[in-house]
Amino acid sequence: MNGRVGILRFVVIALVAVVLGRLFYIQVIDRRYKVFADNNVLRYEVLFPPRGEVYDRNGEFLVQNREANDLITIPIDVKAFDTTQMCEILGVSRELFVREYRKAVQFSRRRPSVIFKQLPKEMKIKLDERHFPGFYTQYRTIRSYPRKVGGNLLGDVGEANERNIERDSYYKSGDYIGTSGVEQAYEKDLRGVKGVKVQMVDVLGIVKGSYGDGVYDTLASPGLGITCTIDAKLQLLAEELLTGKVGSVVMIEPSTGEILVMASSPTYDPDELVGRERGNNYMKLLRNPRRPLYNRAVMSSYPPGSTFKLVNALIGLQEGTLTAQTTYGCAMGYHVGNFKVGCHSHVSPLDLTGAIQTSCNAYFCNVYRNSLDNRKYGGVKSGFDVWRDYVVSLGFGRKLDSDFIGELNGNVPTRDYYDRVYRGSWNSLTTVSLAIGQGEMGATPLQMANFIATIANRGYYYIPHVVKAIQGRDSIEARFYEKHHAKIESQYFEIVADAMYRAVNVSGTGGGARIDGWDVCGKTGTAQNPHGRDHSVFAAFAPYRNPQVAISVYIENGGFGATIAVPIARLLLEQYLTGAVADPALVEHYKNLPIAYPRYDRQFTQQ
Amino acid sequence: MTGSSHNNSLSLGRVDWSMVAIYAALVLTGLLNIYAAVYDPEHSSIFDMDQSYGKQLMWIGISAFLAISVLLIDDKYYHVFAYPLYWLSILFLLGVFVFGKEVNGARAWYEFGSVRVQPTEFVKVTASLALARCMSSYAFNIHSLKSLLNVGLILGIPVAVIILQNDTGSALVYVSFFFMLYREGFNRWLYITVFLLLLLFVLSFLVEPVPLLVILVLICVIGEGLTNGRWKTKIIYLAGVALGALGGYFGTLALGRPMSADVAVIAAVAVSLIFVVTYAYRQRLRNVWFFVLLFFGSLAFTQTIDYVFDNVLQVHQQKRILDLLGLESDLKGWGYNVNQSKIAIGSGGFTGKGFLEGTQTKYNFVPEQSTDFIFCTVGEEWGFVGSTVVVVLFGMLILKLIAMGERQQEAFGRIYCYCAAGIFLFHVAINIGMTIGLMPVIGIPLPFFSYGGSSLIAFTLLLFIAIKLDTSKKDHITRI
Repeated sequence: MNGRVGILRFVVIALVAVVLGRLFYIQVIDRRYKVFADNNVLRYEVLFPPRGEVYDRNGEFLVQNREANDLITIPIDVKAFDTTQMCEILGVSRELFVREYRKAVQFSRRRPSVIFKQLPKEMKIKLDERHFPGFYTQYRTIRSYPRKVGGNLLGDVGEANERNIERDSYYKSGDYIGTSGVEQAYEKDLRGVKGVKVQMVDVLGIVKGSYGDGVYDTLASPGLGITCTIDAKLQLLAEELLTGKVGSVVMIEPSTGEILVMASSPTYDPDELVGRERGNNYMKLLRNPRRPLYNRAVMSSYPPGSTFKLVNALIGLQEGTLTAQTTYGCAMGYHVGNFKVGCHSHVSPLDLTGAIQTSCNAYFCNVYRNSLDNRKYGGVKSGFDVWRDYVVSLGFGRKLDSDFIGELNGNVPTRDYYDRVYRGSWNSLTTVSLAIGQGEMGATPLQMANFIATIANRGYYYIPHVVKAIQGRDSIEARFYEKHHAKIESQYFEIVADAMYRAVNVSGTGGGARIDGWDVCGKTGTAQNPHGRDHSVFAAFAPYRNPQVAISVYIENGGFGATIAVPIARLLLEQYLTGAVADPALVEHYKNLPIAYPRYDRQFTQQ
Repeated sequence: MTGSSHNNSLSLGRVDWSMVAIYAALVLTGLLNIYAAVYDPEHSSIFDMDQSYGKQLMWIGISAFLAISVLLIDDKYYHVFAYPLYWLSILFLLGVFVFGKEVNGARAWYEFGSVRVQPTEFVKVTASLALARCMSSYAFNIHSLKSLLNVGLILGIPVAVIILQNDTGSALVYVSFFFMLYREGFNRWLYITVFLLLLLFVLSFLVEPVPLLVILVLICVIGEGLTNGRWKTKIIYLAGVALGALGGYFGTLALGRPMSADVAVIAAVAVSLIFVVTYAYRQRLRNVWFFVLLFFGSLAFTQTIDYVFDNVLQVHQQKRILDLLGLESDLKGWGYNVNQSKIAIGSGGFTGKGFLEGTQTKYNFVPEQSTDFIFCTVGEEWGFVGSTVVVVLFGMLILKLIAMGERQQEAFGRIYCYCAAGIFLFHVAINIGMTIGLMPVIGIPLPFFSYGGSSLIAFTLLLFIAIKLDTSKKDHITRI
């Protein structure tokens, strides 16, 4: 029997040992349970800061915060209520309401979930009056656009997606984040800092008090206000003038690089992308074949057309293969054997100033070929490299490093590119379309405006940017204060500027841009393109001495530069320089002058 | 009867005071933890009779009174009234069908005003007394079927009634009497078989069939070796099986049509059985046949487990088993209690979060915390240190009950003490085991800790009758 007693004692001791071993394991060795317990009891309530507001250069609101209310439900507290009345107030169908409510129930019966977002104030008041048990509204701020301008420029705010959350742990599901334009570029300043309140809850999710007497709590700090370089009035005028057209206007203050206007057409009412209709409206804009969500000012690479002749003139002058007095003849075009670049009828021969004034194609074919064929460089390909260097120094073929996300490079073809396309055998004649800004050449409207600003400054530019000041900071980023010099001397810019002055004020293609007393200097362009009618281009600055503004206007399929781009530029310059447009009828006229876009709208009908 | 117990008055010196001290420590710690488990700052007085700790305090008072009464009653009456008390309690138990109230699906309670009484708790005490009486009679022989039939009746009646009341957890407690039966010389093979079956049951879930086969072979071979010796033949046999399996595998591999490793093992074991049978026959070793049968029996058992599991067990029972074995979990559904309980205990750490500081406890994350899951409060607020103290106190209590039983002069006292030890062991092991995920969830209280008058009083009676019986032995001992 004694053996049996021993075994029973052993069983007791073994069981005690096993229990103690297990306790030691889960209490001392395995630390996960501590975390689980914290997860159970701690509730982190996020305090959302108001997003920073955006002003134009004169302190007018571009983006303002507006009160919005989310409808929240805690299903367990819901008592029988008049669903019809609720749906009426919310303006939703019964099916939709029931579907959203079911989602909330599935998530949790005890925890609050948002069932309808961004309700207007009137709804909130009605909901609060009726007082549906288990439902309440929560205050949050959303964006509003008092001027209704600059949709693409200002960009919009959406909910953070998985990639945002993965990249930056600041974001949690349901947070807002700037997804384009200024909102995206200055997201870190605008968003502010979320606060947190750590609370302890019981098993029912009922708050039992603050954790650690609130020492882990932080307040939300509001986002910083941002002052843009944009002139809201001018921006509005630009957008109006672009109505019914596809294209872009960029205006820059040459002395600072500040962007006064950046309009892209078609545009949209930015308020449409806020609130409950955001999803639907966004899809509508996305499906629109004219692509209103696409900021053409920085995201379209267009052939610059004749405005690019100014670039070739500057390079020729700098290289000494061209002087102001050089003359070339033009017989309705540039002829080499069977090869021909056509031109319109004008006096011949012409000197440089005359060639710029009349925008003679033959003249610049000669200028371009002389630059490349310069014996100094021992071959056309090395000559091309030198030429390309100059072009890039003028801000083409690369991002300008502005404060826009999604800025395009444009395109200045490279030697490698031609070697590949022509299997190594090419020369200055093969690439002669570069002389007149056609062929492979591509530039964004921003790059063109920046180039004109460089001429206005007689040889340098500041990186164009849209933000002038950030609340609480003395300066913006250092790169916006640096002068970027072109590889061309100031005196040659003077020659070109003089010719641009004459093209507008004496005789030439830009005559329509004349404003008495303001010495506008400009160059038209008519860019051939494979998509139908020529693009209408005009680039200008004013005044001739101490320029205050540079502008580039690009109207897709607008025809001659003079027909549509010039008058639009003129009205904008007039507004900016004189503070008003003398003849408002002109504004109305160009506003109501639509251009047909079979290539966009054909796609539309096909769809 | 020997008529040995005749001390009519209690002599305090004979009471095992260390046992009473353990009892007092456990009851008071229990009260403190119930207070923490249902703590509410608005009702913070421990004497608040509307709260469960206030009521528990009242039950403690009643228990103390009853404990003293038990010590004052002459111990011969326990012997004399063992059967009447047993039948009375069975009647009391049956009365529930007529007058009882259903709680949580089990019809096992009487309700008097705000007080509920659960008769099952008391039947454990009276059944222990009845068993002690029955098994201590001269006519009783543990190896006779007729005697065992009496034991079976004494245990079977309450078990049947309790199962009819749909209170399976309480019925399972009667398994604990096998602890005492083992001490009294019950067939050890029954225990070995049950142990092996349990082991096989668990292994059949955790181990793939072929490794299980290997384990079975090893168990049988080692078992045979332990009884017959001749280890050399065992080693040769095992090496032969291993070589056979390897040979089968690589041989067929060389022939270009390899059999799987599993098939090779099964084939080798099957072939080896021929040798085992010849060996048994030639050496005339009869018990080898036992191990061959054991091998086949186990094999058949593991094959039927799946069938039983799928077709006999109810879904919630299947899930509890899977959860316990760590094979499947549903933390929001049926695994919620145990998971939250483990979180509570695990988050206590080494020294605990402090009295009334347990967040799992305070904010009610563990259901049934003042009753079946009271140990969570100990684990969370007092940590590993506190849990160890409680577990060790229970361990000491049980070991002391065994010691008390062993120093009894008479079978009656010894059997009773072992019954008590078994009941405590079962309750403590199952209850604490389930809160830390070692045992399946069975709704039985932790003695002296779980809130509830019936269980506190019943356990007090169970223990103090043992203490009382212990006082009598010293009259004519000659202890060595």
